[in-house]
Parts: sequence; C-alpha cells; structure tokens
Amino acid sequence: MAALAGGLAYVAHRFGSVLHYRWDWGSLGGALLHWSVAHHAWRAGLLLEGLEATLRLALWSSVLTFLLGFGFALCRISRSLYWRLLGGLYVGFVRNMPLLVFLFLFYFFLSSQILPLLGLDRLGHGAGPAARFWLGLLFGPPRELSAFVTGVFCLALFEGAYVAEILRAGLQAVPRGQWEAALGLGLGRRETLWRVILPQALRASLPALAGQVILLIKASSVASLISIPELTYMANEVSSSNDHVFETWTAAAALYFVVCFGAASLFARWERARGTALAAGPRA
Amino acid sequence: MSPSRGPERASRPALARRPRPPERYADARPGEIIAASPGVAALGALGFAATLFVLVWLAWRGSRDLGYAWQWYRVPHEIFRRVGGGWQAGPLVEGLLVTLGVSLRAMVLALLLGLATAAARLAGTPFLRGLARAHIEIIRGTPLLVQLYLFYFILAPLVGLGRFWTGTLALAVFESVFAAEVMRGAIRSVAPGQWEAARALGLGERTIWRRVILPQTVLPMLPPLAGILVSLIKDSAIVSVISVFDLTNQGRNIISDTFMSFEIWFTVAALYLMMTLSLSTLVNGIERRVRRLRA
Amino acid sequence: MSGRGGESAPDPTAPAIAFERVSKWFGAHAALRGVSLAVAPGERVVVCGPSGSGKSTLIRCVNRLEAHDEGRILVEGIEVDDDPRRVRAIRREVGMVFQSFNLFPHLSVLENCILAPMRVRGMARAEAEELAMSYLARVRIPEQAEKLPHALSGGQQQRVAIARALCMRPRIMLFDEPTSALDPEMIKEVLDVIGELAETGMTMVCVTHEMGFARRLADRMVFMDAGEIVEAGPPERLFRAPEAPRLRDFLAQILRD
Repeated sequence: MAALAGGLAYVAHRFGSVLHYRWDWGSLGGALLHWSVAHHAWRAGLLLEGLEATLRLALWSSVLTFLLGFGFALCRISRSLYWRLLGGLYVGFVRNMPLLVFLFLFYFFLSSQILPLLGLDRLGHGAGPAARFWLGLLFGPPRELSAFVTGVFCLALFEGAYVAEILRAGLQAVPRGQWEAALGLGLGRRETLWRVILPQALRASLPALAGQVILLIKASSVASLISIPELTYMANEVSSSNDHVFETWTAAAALYFVVCFGAASLFARWERARGTALAAGPRA
Repeated sequence: MSPSRGPERASRPALARRPRPPERYADARPGEIIAASPGVAALGALGFAATLFVLVWLAWRGSRDLGYAWQWYRVPHEIFRRVGGGWQAGPLVEGLLVTLGVSLRAMVLALLLGLATAAARLAGTPFLRGLARAHIEIIRGTPLLVQLYLFYFILAPLVGLGRFWTGTLALAVFESVFAAEVMRGAIRSVAPGQWEAARALGLGERTIWRRVILPQTVLPMLPPLAGILVSLIKDSAIVSVISVFDLTNQGRNIISDTFMSFEIWFTVAALYLMMTLSLSTLVNGIERRVRRLRA
Repeated sequence: MSGRGGESAPDPTAPAIAFERVSKWFGAHAALRGVSLAVAPGERVVVCGPSGSGKSTLIRCVNRLEAHDEGRILVEGIEVDDDPRRVRAIRREVGMVFQSFNLFPHLSVLENCILAPMRVRGMARAEAEELAMSYLARVRIPEQAEKLPHALSGGQQQRVAIARALCMRPRIMLFDEPTSALDPEMIKEVLDVIGELAETGMTMVCVTHEMGFARRLADRMVFMDAGEIVEAGPPERLFRAPEAPRLRDFLAQILRD
C-alpha cells in the first residue's frame, strides 16, 4: 500500500513539475458536441459519434452473439455425437484464442472472401430519405457498412463461443428430473427443451449473459484495430489531431465507464427486482 | 451484480454452489438425452471427420480459385530456422517467448496488486475500502485496450517506462481486479465457525489470519488463479498494439512481409491454443487434486 | 420377435404391463436380472425391497426413462423399444409420480397441470384448465392453482405432481417412492390421495417403503432384491408367512421400527 501511494505521489510530482502539462479540457468540447453553422444545430462531435457506433456495434453483435451462442449450446447438448463434436470444436477453438488474433484472422477472411459476394456496398442506394435515416441510425453510414458488418460478425463469432458455454452450463444445470417429468408426461424432446428446460436455463444464466453484454461492449474497442470508427478509434483520431492525449483518453474511458457501469447497475437492479418478484410467490 | 469476464469468471458462482446430492445413478443420463449406441456414435464421429474434410477442401479450392497462393512450406521457417550449423528460434518462437514473458511478469504483479486490493476491501479503513472498490469498478467498466492507451500515452512518458513494461503493467492492473475478487471470495468462503473457534481458543486477530484463515484459502484459490493466467496469456495479445513484439505482433509483421495471412494466423492461433490448452489441462489436474485433498 | 411389438395402438385386453425376462445393467452393475411380471388391468401392485434392489429401475423402464438391455416390456400390448412414436404413445397413457416431485419451477401449479394436455393432447386452454382445476380439487389444493411450486409444502407439491399426471387421464400410474422425500407429517396427505385414486380402479404400480399402506391397498405385493423378484403374492400372505429368507430379513428390519 505504501509503495502504491509512493508511486502515485511520484507520478503526480512528475506530472506537476517535470512535464508542466497544461490542462485544457476546453479543447475537448468540440470532440463531444459542436455547433454546426451549416445545420444551425448542435452536432455530435467525433467522440460521441464514436460512442454511437460503439453502441450500434454492441447492439447488433449482441443479437448475433446470442443467436450463435444458442445454436452452439444446442449443438453441445445434442444427442448426436456429430453436433457435439462440431460445437465442441468451435467453442474450444475460439475460447483458447486471443480476440485480437481471431479478429485479424476473420477480418481478412470475411472482408476478402465473403463480403464481396454479398454486395453490401450497393445496399441503400435506392432508399428514400426516411429509410436512409433509419438505416443510418441502426447500421451507420452506408459507405462504412461493409466494415461494420465485418466487425459485427467477428465480435459475434468470438463472443458466441462464450455465450454458448454459459447457456450449455445453464441447460445442463437443470435437474435431470425435469427432463424425466416432461418426457414422462408424453412431451417430445423438442417441446421439453423449449417449454421446460430452456426457461429454467435462461433464468439461471441471465446474470452471466448480462455480464457478457458488458464484456461485448468493452471487447468492441478492439474493432478500432480493423478501422471501424467506434469510440476507441475516434479517440485515437482526436488525440492525434488536438494533441491533448490525456484529456481525450480520459474522456473516452469515462464514456465507456458510464455505459458499462450504467448497464451493470441496470442489470443488477433488474436482477434484484426479479428476485423479489420470484420470492413473493404467486404471479400476477 | 457486476460484469464478469469470460466464462472462466462467469462460471465461478456455479462452482461455489454446492453440488446436488447424487441421484442413484447420477452418471446415467436419461436415454433420450445422450445417444447410447456406440454404432451411432461412430457414425457421428465419421460424419464429423467428413464434414471437416469437406470444409477444408472447399476453403482450399475456393481460395485457390480466388488467387490465394498457399505457402505452408514457408511456415516452419518462421518457427525455427537454420543459421550456420545450428538451429535458431524464428520470429514466431521469439514472439511466443515475449508473450510468455509479459504474461508471467504481469501475473506476478497482478497477484501482488490483487492481494493489496483484496486486503483493502476486507480489512481496510472506509477510505481504503472505497478506493479498492473504485479501482475494481473503473477497471471493470473500461476496455483493456483503452486502459492500455492510457498507460501508453500518459503514464509511460511521465515515468519513462518502456513499451514492454507499459504493456505488462497495464495487463497486471487489469487482471489484478479479477485476482482480488478470487482472493476475496476464497477468504470469505472460510466458514465463520473457523473464526469463532479460533477466537474461542483465545488466539489474536493476527494469528487467526496467519495460522487459521489464510492457509485454508490457498488450495481453493489455485484453480481460479490459474484460470486468470490462461486469460492473461490470451489478453496479452493486446500489447502488440503498442509495438511490443509478442506472438501476435510477430505474426502481423511476417504477414506484412509475406502476405501469408491464413497460414500465419492459423499458426499463431495454434500456438496460443497450445499454451492455453496445456495450461488448462494443468488447471484441471490441480483442480482434481485440490478436490481430492479437500475431500 | 412377434408381430405385436410393431403395433402402436393400445390393446385393452392385453396385460396392462408385461415384463418378459427383462435385464438392465448400469455398467457392470446388474440393476434387473431377468425380471418377469404381468400386471393386469386395474391391478394395484406395490413393489418393495431394500434400496438398490432395482425397484425404481423396474418402473422407470415402463415409460422408457431407462432403456432395458434384454427381454421385452409390453404396455397394453405395445412393445417398449427405441421407436420414438411407440415410446410417446406409451408415455401418453402412463402417468408417473417421482420421489422428488419434479414440478416445473418456472410454471404455476395450474400451468404445470395444463402443459401436457395442451401440448400432447392438443386440448384448448379453457378445457385444459377446467380439467386441471377438477383434478386439483380432487387432490384438495384448488386454491393454490396460481402459486409457483416452491411456495408450496412438500406434501402439497407431491399432490400437484399427482394431479399433473392425472390430467393426461392415464390408464396406468407409476409411483416411484412418492413419500420418501416428505417430512413425516405430510406423508399421510399424499397417501390418502393415492388411496382414493386406487379406489377408482386405475392400474397402479407403486414403489414404496410404507408397509401399512401396501398392506391396505395392494392387490399384490412384489418383493425385489438384487435385481430379481424374490417373492410376490397378496400382501396379507407375504406379511403373515414370508417364504424367502431375504423377505423375512427385510420385513423384520422394516417392521421393527
């Protein structure tokens, strides 16, 4: 503890006396919000634009992550060895690899081999202004769409393996008697899974899944390395153009913190509310 | 609830939960859940192998048709190369050693920092407890990459830290939070009866900590801490961003020279897989042994 | 293999359940060794024996929660085998009550009861609810219909489990130690419900340690040990004049307390 305090004091000392760093939070204002003369309105600065892209990225990759995770969780608990091996290979491969390596591998693969086939660049050309607004809000600018889609797929394919493991654990934690009771009543395997096992598994895995969403928001920062203009990428841009490295990165970190901590608190509150509702017994 | 990080952490509450009392034939699954017949299983395995073969073949054909020239024969050169009469580590092995160096150093630092944080949370003054809490929440609430940039752009020039140590320190601070949570959890999992029994014997607080509580926490802590080391190895790839020549960065460099994207990334992935899998196997071994020791 | 095995329509004239030299192994452990037993329609059979004797395995093979390895099991003339259609046809007609209740914790009592009638029998919700309420009234807990299972006592949960099974209007009911997980003061309420059910003429196979209950209710008592049926007959005779030494030991132990 003393060493830590000493270290901090030393840093502060360097900060104050050696570098004579001139604080200038004002310069950061434009990166958050700026007055657009052309539009006569406040416009989001680069950092807020980046935040928007981060949230967009997190939203779509969350959706895809859960779909993929669910599919692979089903593979992992399948009766057929074929699906179990397939699911096991994917989960084992992804979970033992750094996100960065996975991202570079798939970025190259997707962007050079798969995406050109989809013709995403032409998408939205024929759309009207209203449609364009919604497309822009949901998927970002059309010219960045193909990079955006690559990013979403990379993140989702990566995090999907972790979600698959969470869901598999949840599914397998449902007591065996639940299967037996449902099958014994004459329900089929699929109905048993869907109506009896899955609701219980989801309930048990919700905290872990919520945590996974926050992990995904944080992991999306790595997408800056494949040139997706999200928050981290923008912070890099801003800090190299305005030379106020400290303020810019602090602001970026603060934005991430607000989003992640806010989401975590929301999930926690929701979890508590759900807990008390369950404990109360009869349902409305 | 606070965000957990990866299933290594996500599954921790499940581990802490008591196992269900064994049913009469706990190992026998209902006939409908797992196929029993070995014939069907063999068919599944065969089908799986066939699928893999077809996938690889399709990828091979498809990429060749698109003009990708496979050059696997050049990869061994990047792992070991012959110089003069002897063998020398290629860039990939050099990177591997840097990755291990960063990870192990960061692990030691993370353990120390984690211990301090856990101690502050458990036994500190309100101020220290608040500080530890803030440390944990801030680290958990921001991406590792942003933390790395903060260290690299701000702390490193201030104290004159090199890139290697900047990366190591950033990783250590990041993982220390998880180490702290593991330690705190292990200490709190010691039954309250242990405190009561030790106090009733008239032992002092310090003796109780040193002789009764801490010794009981060491064994249960080992598997999750080893899990942190596995995460650390994977997370350490991020230091390539600040030009530390670890495995990932060496891979990027080779690719920019040779354009063998697939070959190199698959090799790099395989090398990471080797490290994490062998560590995970070790962890499983430790876990089994720990369970036997505690039983 | 006889042609009857392939049928999947129940034959009411056949024995309700017929075991023909059935064997079952768990690894090297033989849970059932060549068990033969025929249960007539409307018959009430109580299976008893020391723990690990294969009682539960025996009835779990009837609705294929366990797969037997040798011999044949026929339920109303339908052979129990790997064919999923036949297995489901059997499960529709055979109700089961478990030692650990196995109510679905995420569904209310009423929803527990209507799930299978709606999904398996294709009943409309209103009709299924009416049916469920009538059975919940029969097990004397209609007022708990909206509660979640864990808000109920063990005895109440087990009565819900019985009602849930009855909602499928099964012709055969299997009870796997229905009172073993209950506190002593709740055993009676569950046994009373099972007793009333027995008077309706339903075919019942019950694994239990409640000897008084067995004596009152059973048409036939089957004593199992080490995966074999050691002795079977009217309960009065088995209690009065047990022939097999193993049964004598078992009764001596059980009746002592």
